[in-house]
Amino acid sequence: MLLTFLVVSAVFIIEPAVENYPDDARVFPQLTASVVFIGSLLLLSQNYLPDPLHKFVAKSVSITSSDEDTIAADESDQEDEATADEEYKKDTIGAEYGYEVNETVFMVSTAILYFIVGWSAGFLFATPLYILAYTLWFRVNPALSVGLAVLGTVVIYLFMTYLVLPFDQGHIFDFSPLLPLFLDASTTFPGGGA
Amino acid sequence: MALDAFLEGLSIATSGQMLVWLTLGLLLGIILGALPGIGSPVGMAIVLPLTLPLDATAAIILLVAIYSGAMFGGSISAILINAPGTESAAATTLDGYPMSKNGLAKNALAIATTASALNGFLAAIALIVLSPLLIEVVLAFGSPEYFLLAILGISLITIVTQGSIVKGLVAGALGFMISTIGTAILSPRPRYTFGQFGLYEGIDFVAALIGMFAFAEMMKLAARKQISEDDVEIAGNVRDGILAVFKYPVTTLKSGLIGMGIGMVPGSGATTSTFVAYAEEARSSTKDGKFGEGDPRGVIAPEAANNPTVSGSLIPTLSFGIPGSGSTAVLLGGILMHGLQPGPVLFGEQLQITYALFISLFLGNILILVVGLTLIPYASRITELDTNVIIPMVVVLSFAGAFTLNQNWWDVGAVIALGLLGFYMVRNNYSIIAFVLGIVLGPIAEENFFRSLQISGGEYRIFIHPIEQPLSFLLSLAILLILFGPFLKGRFEQAVTSG
Repeated sequence: MLLTFLVVSAVFIIEPAVENYPDDARVFPQLTASVVFIGSLLLLSQNYLPDPLHKFVAKSVSITSSDEDTIAADESDQEDEATADEEYKKDTIGAEYGYEVNETVFMVSTAILYFIVGWSAGFLFATPLYILAYTLWFRVNPALSVGLAVLGTVVIYLFMTYLVLPFDQGHIFDFSPLLPLFLDASTTFPGGGA
Repeated sequence: MALDAFLEGLSIATSGQMLVWLTLGLLLGIILGALPGIGSPVGMAIVLPLTLPLDATAAIILLVAIYSGAMFGGSISAILINAPGTESAAATTLDGYPMSKNGLAKNALAIATTASALNGFLAAIALIVLSPLLIEVVLAFGSPEYFLLAILGISLITIVTQGSIVKGLVAGALGFMISTIGTAILSPRPRYTFGQFGLYEGIDFVAALIGMFAFAEMMKLAARKQISEDDVEIAGNVRDGILAVFKYPVTTLKSGLIGMGIGMVPGSGATTSTFVAYAEEARSSTKDGKFGEGDPRGVIAPEAANNPTVSGSLIPTLSFGIPGSGSTAVLLGGILMHGLQPGPVLFGEQLQITYALFISLFLGNILILVVGLTLIPYASRITELDTNVIIPMVVVLSFAGAFTLNQNWWDVGAVIALGLLGFYMVRNNYSIIAFVLGIVLGPIAEENFFRSLQISGGEYRIFIHPIEQPLSFLLSLAILLILFGPFLKGRFEQAVTSG
């Protein structure tokens, strides 16, 4: 994570010089990126810093607690610890077939997939599929799953209708002309549908 | 002028439409607040884009009502299942849950409702009375002071949230950095867009709020099966609970003052105020107290402190644009999203909006009392919700809400990216509030930074000159003391000890 911060802040420092940004577009981001860069560098090298500097970088300070211990040196250790603490296995369809997928990984992966399908084919069509897939995977009552999928679709439809959003159109697939086949043909969609 | 604005604010706040938003916000807030893992910042972040079609006053009243309702709602799960719905209810678990285990859940819930509403009500009155003073203070601030206040806010957050100061600063600066993506504020030069047209408008701070709060929280919630793993039984007596609050008037009023006072400090939030109120009550009642075993005063103190903190925290948020917590950061996002500017404008030409907000807070606390006491017998049902039902619905709302902001797919991508970043930042003890504050305040900080430099002809001493800019000098000094004070104090103590 600190390496990511270092790389990103370095880009923010170098890019204005390479692209020749004017002063009023350059100074503030470069200053803030410098703070991130120096701070990340200090955190990354905290175990090798001289004692006073090490204390300044690693000391935990809080006005809500008297605990002033130094923070753990290795971020990855904390991460493993946190994962172990929170680990909880849910009953899933995958488990029945021998596929053990971490719940958080599953949540993020399906959300990314939902985003991609929504972008390419429209949120109106991706939403019920996403909700059904997510809830059925975790063995939510099928009737409740279908109910939630309908509710989610209605929410998206309301966004389309009242906020005039093109959720029925994707950037790759456009199923919007098919909508009247499913709904009343006289319905008009402010979001750009039929 | 102030009286006219007050009367106009009163007429706005008591209009039928505003009362509907207020009631809706409170109900939503109580429900969202009662769900551990959702809480007020997540709920407010999801609702924020949906307020786009509303006028600014209605939107801000709705958000403040959610915030206020969640403050009370958080205590429901804290008392019933020992899992605070909001961080501010963490102190309530200390005696609220033991009371529940002792068969006094209804008493504890009634105490929470009455103490929250009563003190929230009093704090709203105090806010209305104090506002003329605030106007004077706010008008004394110029561009250098606003820039320094943004830095001060982030500095304060680094010491309020436990952890390394350097980590807090890195988080805040990272937020500032992200906020500079897109077209520059003072010149039409695109920055860090790498030729992507969708990034010309930058990453919307509301999308960032949704990502950091809603999406990141859902990632955490994914590993939990149900809000509560145990069956909850609600026993006890509501009337006895209400009377208990009046039995300890000193505890109630003292905690309310603590709540409001701490809430007014930029950078501090309800988590701090509730624990301080609890600790003070435990300290002053050492002889007869059974704190930690179900002492009613252990519920009164934090609950009497949390709603006044909302009122108190509105002062730095509205007057200087410095939120003290995740919820007030989202609220500030809402204020900016609706084209309102914290500071002289909200306390000058738009004073009626500020008064409408304060009056809504006052009315909201009456509603909390009515709704809260009515909900007590049904409170346990909220805690029985399956997380697998909540997560996909929150994801759908988050994505749709993010797209609604600018009809830009980059904003939806930002929800995922910043959600992942937020998740790992929390795991590695980085303050996400400092990060979010950086994103929200970035444009304000940058604009005031350059205005200050324009005023001074490029001289940085405008931020530190003790004679020409005494207020800026004091703010700079405060920032240095906050950042280096604990370290210098340690060195000083070490030197004294060693001789």
